Amino acid sequence: MAGKEDFQIVLPFDFDYYLPKNLKEAVELYRYLDQQGKQPMFFSGGTELITLGRIDLAYTEAVIDIKEIAECQMIQFSDHQLLIGSAVTLTQLEEANPFPLLTSVSSEVADHTARGKITLGGNICAQIFYREAVLPFLLADSELIIAGPEGLKTIQINEIFQEQLRLKKGELLVQTSTDKRFIEAPFYAVKRRQQWDTGYPLITLAALKMGQELRVAISGLCPFPFRSPEVETYLNRWGQAAETRVDNALSALPKPILEDVEGSADYRLFVLRHLLVDALSALERAGA
Amino acid sequence: MEVIGRSVIRKEAADKVTGRAKYTDDFESVQMLSGKMVISPYGHAKIVNIDTANAWKVPGVRAIIAGKRYPLTGETIRDRPPIAVDKVRYHGEPVALVVADTPAQAKTAADLINVQYELLPVVNSPTEAFQEGAPLVHERLGEYKKEADSYPVPGTNIATHTKIRKGQMEKGWAESETVVEASFSFAPSDHAAMETRCATAEIFPDGKIIIMTASQAPFMAKRLIADYFGEDMGKIIVHTPLVGGAYGGKAAVQLEVLAYLASKEVGGRPVKIFNTREEDILTSPCHIGLDATVKLGADRNGMIKAAEIRFWWDGGAYSDKAIDVSRSGAVDCTGPYNIENVWCDSYCMYTNHPYASPFRGYSHSELSFVIERTMDILAQKLNIDPLELRYINAIKPGDTTPTRVKLTRSNVGDLRKCIEKVRELIKWDEGAIKEVNERIIRVKGVSCSWKTSTIDANAPSGAILTFNRDGSINLMSGVIEIGTGTKTILAQILAEKLKMDVDRIHVRMEVDTQTTPEHWKTVASRGTYMAGRAVLQAADDVIRQLKEVASCVLRAPEEDLVVADSRVFLRDDPSIGLDFKDIVYGYQYPNGNSIGGQIIGTGKFILRHITHLDPETGEGKPGPEWAPAAYGVEIEFDKRDYTYRLIKACTVLDIGKVMNEKAALGQVMGAMSMGLAFAGRETFYFDELGRVLNPQLRTYRPLRYGENPEYLVGFVETPHLDSPYGARGGGEHGLMGMPGALGNALSLAAGVPLNCLPLIPEFIWRAKKTFK
Repeated sequence: MAGKEDFQIVLPFDFDYYLPKNLKEAVELYRYLDQQGKQPMFFSGGTELITLGRIDLAYTEAVIDIKEIAECQMIQFSDHQLLIGSAVTLTQLEEANPFPLLTSVSSEVADHTARGKITLGGNICAQIFYREAVLPFLLADSELIIAGPEGLKTIQINEIFQEQLRLKKGELLVQTSTDKRFIEAPFYAVKRRQQWDTGYPLITLAALKMGQELRVAISGLCPFPFRSPEVETYLNRWGQAAETRVDNALSALPKPILEDVEGSADYRLFVLRHLLVDALSALERAGA
Repeated sequence: MEVIGRSVIRKEAADKVTGRAKYTDDFESVQMLSGKMVISPYGHAKIVNIDTANAWKVPGVRAIIAGKRYPLTGETIRDRPPIAVDKVRYHGEPVALVVADTPAQAKTAADLINVQYELLPVVNSPTEAFQEGAPLVHERLGEYKKEADSYPVPGTNIATHTKIRKGQMEKGWAESETVVEASFSFAPSDHAAMETRCATAEIFPDGKIIIMTASQAPFMAKRLIADYFGEDMGKIIVHTPLVGGAYGGKAAVQLEVLAYLASKEVGGRPVKIFNTREEDILTSPCHIGLDATVKLGADRNGMIKAAEIRFWWDGGAYSDKAIDVSRSGAVDCTGPYNIENVWCDSYCMYTNHPYASPFRGYSHSELSFVIERTMDILAQKLNIDPLELRYINAIKPGDTTPTRVKLTRSNVGDLRKCIEKVRELIKWDEGAIKEVNERIIRVKGVSCSWKTSTIDANAPSGAILTFNRDGSINLMSGVIEIGTGTKTILAQILAEKLKMDVDRIHVRMEVDTQTTPEHWKTVASRGTYMAGRAVLQAADDVIRQLKEVASCVLRAPEEDLVVADSRVFLRDDPSIGLDFKDIVYGYQYPNGNSIGGQIIGTGKFILRHITHLDPETGEGKPGPEWAPAAYGVEIEFDKRDYTYRLIKACTVLDIGKVMNEKAALGQVMGAMSMGLAFAGRETFYFDELGRVLNPQLRTYRPLRYGENPEYLVGFVETPHLDSPYGARGGGEHGLMGMPGALGNALSLAAGVPLNCLPLIPEFIWRAKKTFK
C-alpha cells in the first residue's frame, strides 16, 4: 500500500508540508500561510497532529516542520547557560542528559517509541495538558527564546507560561535557556500514575532546591502544569513540621483539581500530600 | 519420533517476525470501497432525526445507510438491528454507514451526518437493570425470535436466567457452622487485541458472496448471514487469514454483516470496514462485566457444605454471546470444589453498555474472582490456611459438578497435584506476608479454577490431508490461527501419528469456508482436542490407503506393513518398502501400468454425550472435560500509598499433555499477563449517560512489558483419555485465576476485603477509608 494512502487513513484531511531552513523563513511561511487561510501549524515530531487529527481534535492545511532549523536542534552550554532547541526529541535529551532533572521528568513522558518523536517544544506547547517537560524549566526560572514576526525575543518562562505557553499567533518556541546553577541544584522528581508504569500522570511532581529555597512544580493535579509561589511559601517555612507545611501548601493549590478516569480529586490530594512529604524529606538537608 | 512435547517453531513464525504475514486489512484491491460507521455518542437515546444531506455532497460517496430496517440479528436472541433504528442502546452503536471510494472520503462524510437524539434513562449496571421498574432496554423482548435454550423474561431486562439446583440447601446450611457472604462487582472492559476487527464483502452477479473477516468463527458468519438474510448458504464464502489476537472478541459476527449490507447497497462492489481502535473498543463486542453475591457454608473442618451464588452479568445492549457466557458461568459456578448443595441463579442482564462477547476463559476468570475471594474470606473466618481450605475441598474423581456430571480422573484431572505444585513454586510455606521494611511488605495470594467448554453439543470439526508429489503433506483444518499456534500443534499431532518429520507437513493457515472442512469456531481451547481428533482420523485414513497400495506392490499383507519416516515398509525388514512419493499419486510399474491414485485423507470429530441443561435444575452434561488449575501471585505492597508492584505470578495447570512446551508456556504466561491487566487496571469507566470515558489506548491500558511480574508455570499431566495424546485445553487457564489471586494478596496486604475490579491503588485507598 502506498505511503500516501496510509497517511490518508490516519488523517482525514490533506495538508501541505514545508521544511524551512531557518527561523526567518519559518516565521514568514507562517504569516503567508495564515493569510491564505491554511491554519498553519509549527510541527516537528508530529505525534499530536497524528493522534489528535485522526479524532478531529486537531486540524491544519499546512505544517511547517522546524526540524532543519539549527537553533531548534541544538543542545549546548554557552557561558553559564544551557540552550536546548525546541525540536530536540525527548530521547535525545535522555541520551545527552544535559539537565538531569529534565531527563528524570521527560523520560517518563508517553512511551519509549513516542519519545523518539516527541520534542521538547512539542511537549511544552502540547494540546494535551500535562506538558510535563515544562516543569524543570518553571523551577529553573529558565528563559525562552521565541521567534515571531518581530524577530527573536527572550522571555522569563514564568511570565509567559501561565497554564500554557502564551505564544502569540505566528510565534515559535526556539530554545530554552537555563542557568547552570539550577542544573546543578539538588532535585527530586516523581511521577505517580493511576497504576504501575504506563499512562498519564496522576501527579507528576518536580522539586528543586536553590540554596535554602525549595521549589515545586506539578502536573496532573490541575488541567495545567503549574508552579505556585503560595505553595512554595508554605513549604519553605522550615521551622514548622513537614506535615504542617504540606497541609498549608495543600490549602493554597490552584483550582480546579482534576476529577477524571485517572483518579478523583480527593485521591490526587492524598497522593500529592505524600509526594510533597517525600520531596521535603529528600531535599531537607540537600544544599545545606 | 516424539514430535509431541517438542517446542516446534510455529509454522507461521517466519512470516510474522519479518512483517510479511497478512491480516484481513492487508488485503486491498483497487476497486475496494470503504465503509465508515457513524456511532452513537450516548448510552440510551431515541433517534429523532438523521440528516445525511451534507454527507451526500462529499465526493466519492456511494451509499449512506441510515434508518433502514433490516432483519434483527443476534446469536441466541434476535434482538439487534445491524444499524440502529428508532433508538440507540449503547455508546458506540452503529447509527449510519457511509460507503465511499476512499477511507478519508467515507470519514469526512460520516462526520457530516447529523443525528438528533433525545436522551432516555440509562441502565448503567446489571444491578440497576434487575431493579423492579428499571427502564427497559428492550421493550419488545417477548416478540424476538430466539433459540430454545434461552429464557428471556419479557417486561424486564433479563435476557436469560440459568438455574442450578443441586442437593438440598436446607441440609447444606444445617451442616454449616460457618457461613460467609460477600458481594462483588466489576464493569465491562475490552479484549484489546492488537489487530482491530475488519471485514470485507463483495457480492457477485451470480449471487456469490465473498467475505473476508478477522474472525474466530468464519463458518458461523456464513451460517448467520444465510440465516439472517435468506441467502443461499453455499454461495457465501468466508475467508479468514491470520488473525492478530482474538481472545473471544472475534467470536461474534458483526462487521461481516455490515460489510455485506454495504456491498449490497453499492451493487455488490467490494467494501471494507475496518475498525478504528475506538470503534473496536466501543462498537464491537466487549468483555462482560459482573455483579455477584456468593454465600458459602462450611463445617468445623472446613468442608464446604452449601453454596448460594447469584450472578448478574452485564450483557450490555444486545444479548448475542452473553447468554452463553452467563450459562457457562452457571455450570462451573462453584469453582473447582466439591459441594453437594448448590443454588445458583445466573442472570444475563440487558444494560445500556457495549454488548458482550466471550473473553478468554469464557466467564471463568469472572466467576473465579468472586468464588476465590469468598474462599479466602471463608478461610479467614475458619482460621484455616487458604491453600489448605482449597486442598481439602478440591474437586476429584467420584464427585459431581454443579450440573451433576459424575467426574473421573480422565475428565477432571488432578487439582490437588496442581495445588501442591503451586505451594512449592511460590514457597507458600515461607508464609503469606513478609516484611521488607516498615512501609513495604511482600504478600502472596492464591486461587484455583477449573473450566469446561460449553460449546454446542453438535459442534463439528474436520480435517483433510493431501499429498504433494515429493511425499510431503498438506494439512487443512478449519481452525483459525489466532496466535495460539494451534495449527502447528495439529502438524505435530499428524507428524507423531505418521512418525514423520514435522517439517514435511505444510499447514494451510488461511481458512475459507468453501474448501476448508468446518471447525465450528476457534474458541474455548477446543482446537487441539476437536481438530486434533479429526486430524488423527484423517491420518488413519491416509495410513489405510498407503498400506493398501503398498500391500499390493510389495505383495505383503497390510498387517505386516509399517508407516514411518515418509515410507511404508515391512515391519521385519525396513529395507523393503516404498517412499511416500512413489505411492501417494499412484504407483507406476516399470511397464507404465499404474494403480492407486491420489491419496486424500479425511477425518471428522463431534463431541459425544453433551446434553442441553434442564431449565429448572441445570442438570446435564455441558462439556467433555474439566481442566483444573491453581495459582499464586506475589506482590510488594506499600502500606502508606497503597501502591504495589507485581513480583511473581504462578500458574500450575493440569494440561493433560504438554504438546509443545514453548507454545504452552507462551499461552499460559500470555494469559497470566492478560489476567493481571484485567484484575489490576483494565476497565471501562462510564458516565451517567452510559458513555465509555476511556475508549482509547491512551486511557485504556493493557499490561505493558516491564510491568509484568516474573512468571512461574508448572504443568500437571493427567491425560484426558478422549483427547489426542491426552491433552486438555490450555489457552485460557493462565488468565482465570489471576484476578482472584491478586485480589486475595491485596486484601491480605491492605487488611480490607477488596471485592471489586480493577484493583487500582485508589480503590484500595477508598476501601481503607470506608472500612475504618
